[in-house]
Amino acid sequence: MNMKYCSDLTKRLALLLALGVGFATHNLHAQDLAPLPLKLPIPAFMGTPPDMQQMGPEVEKLSDKPRAPFMAPKGCVNLAFKKKVTSSDKSPITGSLDLVTDGDKEASDNSFVELHKKTQWVQVDLGTEAKIYAIIVWHAHNTFQVYHDVVVQISDDPDFTKDVTTVYNNDVDNTSGLGIGTDKEYFEDYQGRLMPVKGVKGRYVRCYSKGSTYSALNRYTEVEVWGLPAE
Amino acid sequence: MNRWLTLGLLLAVAAALLLRLPHLNQRPLHTDESVHAVKFLGLWEGRGYRYDPNEYHGPILYYVTLPFVWLSGARGAAAVEASALRMVPLVFGVGLILLLPLLGDALGRPAVFWAALWTAVSPAFVFYSRYYIHELLLVFFTLLLLAAGWRYLQTRRLGWALLAGAVLGLMHATKETFVFNLVALAAAAVLAGAWEHWRAGALWFPELRLRRRHLLAALAVAAVVSVVFFTSCFTNASGPLDSIRTYLPWLHRAGGASPHEHPWPFYFKRLLWFHKAGGPVWTEVLIWLLAIVGLAAAFTSHPLNGVNLRFVRFLGFYTLCLTAIYNVLPYKTPWCVLGFHHGFILLAGVGAVALLAWCGRRRWLAVVIALALFAGAVQLAAQARRAAITFAADPRNPWVYAHTSPDLLRLVAQINAITATQAQPDQTLIKVFARGGDYWPLPWYLRAYPHVGWWSEVPPDPYAPIIVASSSLNANLDEKSDKRFLMVGLFQQRPGVGMELYVEFNLWKKYLEMRPPPKDEE
Repeated sequence: MNMKYCSDLTKRLALLLALGVGFATHNLHAQDLAPLPLKLPIPAFMGTPPDMQQMGPEVEKLSDKPRAPFMAPKGCVNLAFKKKVTSSDKSPITGSLDLVTDGDKEASDNSFVELHKKTQWVQVDLGTEAKIYAIIVWHAHNTFQVYHDVVVQISDDPDFTKDVTTVYNNDVDNTSGLGIGTDKEYFEDYQGRLMPVKGVKGRYVRCYSKGSTYSALNRYTEVEVWGLPAE
Repeated sequence: MNRWLTLGLLLAVAAALLLRLPHLNQRPLHTDESVHAVKFLGLWEGRGYRYDPNEYHGPILYYVTLPFVWLSGARGAAAVEASALRMVPLVFGVGLILLLPLLGDALGRPAVFWAALWTAVSPAFVFYSRYYIHELLLVFFTLLLLAAGWRYLQTRRLGWALLAGAVLGLMHATKETFVFNLVALAAAAVLAGAWEHWRAGALWFPELRLRRRHLLAALAVAAVVSVVFFTSCFTNASGPLDSIRTYLPWLHRAGGASPHEHPWPFYFKRLLWFHKAGGPVWTEVLIWLLAIVGLAAAFTSHPLNGVNLRFVRFLGFYTLCLTAIYNVLPYKTPWCVLGFHHGFILLAGVGAVALLAWCGRRRWLAVVIALALFAGAVQLAAQARRAAITFAADPRNPWVYAHTSPDLLRLVAQINAITATQAQPDQTLIKVFARGGDYWPLPWYLRAYPHVGWWSEVPPDPYAPIIVASSSLNANLDEKSDKRFLMVGLFQQRPGVGMELYVEFNLWKKYLEMRPPPKDEE
């Protein structure tokens, strides 16, 4: 056996050893990792579900209780009633902006203003600075639907460029670019969505939305701003 | 079949395909469609099929789907598309037109053309030809039974009797309600016979004399076909007995113990005049008016070239009996109109011919009426397209019933986008809870994920990287978990039914960091 042969043999053995160790390590890792022994229930088949559109008053309610009374300082009034409304949409598809504060929050075709697609807002000018304790928004409650990216802000600046207080934001992925919201989405109903406000001062209230599960358009039936004129 | 009829039928088939084929995948699957789809996947993937007498109708739909999915080239459950499944009712729906020449000497060739045209453009037929349920198959087999029976009575050949027997077995293996069709056929035979006796003094409907040997052979074939399917090719011995036991729960439902109990105008409103605020008006009243003209011609014995009036009277009795049965029953779902509405479509074919024959030698009037009928067909086609595409899942469409909202597809897309941030997206653990198992059609849309658990209530350990919970359960997992899990969206499963999507906080953060920049929607 010459030296060259011994050297070759040593190299080959080393290579085999390395491969063996590698394989064993690989197997060890493979043995270390295993799919979780999950025992998950399989889906249960079901029959034709009821058609809520046909069921009228028997439909499943998401909440079957009326909203609890909201406690606010005595003397609070709806400061938004008949006040001037402006919007990001200069030419609404249906209705006019004054419908947002006319006191009519019925689910009829004549009660709402309908704005175009994408993120849109309506803004109520309270006329003077006020202390706000609650804002209630009715988008559209003629059918079951969830409005997306509902954001409500208060400011003294009509352009909302400074001193803006956000009192509600459910845009959890910030697609409307007003910040990540942590509030929940909700089903529209006849009660409207009451957003409690802790006496924030401001003259302008702006409500954003970005379509709903029913339509890409943005409907506003009514906005109420409950508070007291600021001292 | 002459050249003009061939051309006319080809045009009707072309119109039918044009209205039925586009965007087959677009509409989200209805709960029923998805249940059938998942049951089919069991058969497709070799887990077999076992008839369930409590729900889900007969086995035919699943077995018939096998060649369609095979031809679609799908390999594996995740690759099977809704369009491949919906091709089944679509082909049977178009097949209704191709069967009509078998009744060429019963309805008359011109009436065959008009009936083919009404079949092609009827909004109800277009809509449900794109719906993965059993109804279209039952209508197809019923027409084939009628045609095979008619051909047998004309020729007395054993082959037609055997075909009728086989089709009877297929009807049984399609849907329990096939008994209504049989009862209506039997009642129509009696009533038509009584009519002939009263009008012409004939003792009976002479064509109905059957050869006992042929009748027995047909019934034997029907039994064999039925047993083969209900036993899942001889692997489920209790299947045939279950196919009879099934009538207990169905009778319970038909009697009104069901959320699908509706008052009698339910079908008429949908077929004749349906309008919801903000939606268009839907009506197939033209077809029904023409059917009344056809019936009037048959019962006044007004001779029509090529039309066998006795057959039309029989068809009229059958249609009216079936209409009465479905309307008397409190249990009503909109797809059930297809059975009796198809009778009106055939009669409307005769009605169109009667109307044109009434013009006599006033050719200009015949031309005007023919043009008006074609205009009516175009208007029906426009409604059909609206029903199938624009308003495919919109409650303002009369044929949309407890349908999955398109918003649910947004939920599925959101889940897919979140899991895409994982090294092995399909290995993500997902937990779904909905009261009473009302999470369909999600089992179909999440079929690519092997680790999905399904609960009928919030389980003791509800947490997983992705959780979908029905709103009615008030899961509140974000608050209960101290915001370790965020509710990132509320999605509409069906009108009035919401689903909440919860995502583990770090996974959501990772998704927000990795997601592509939003696209401009306009």
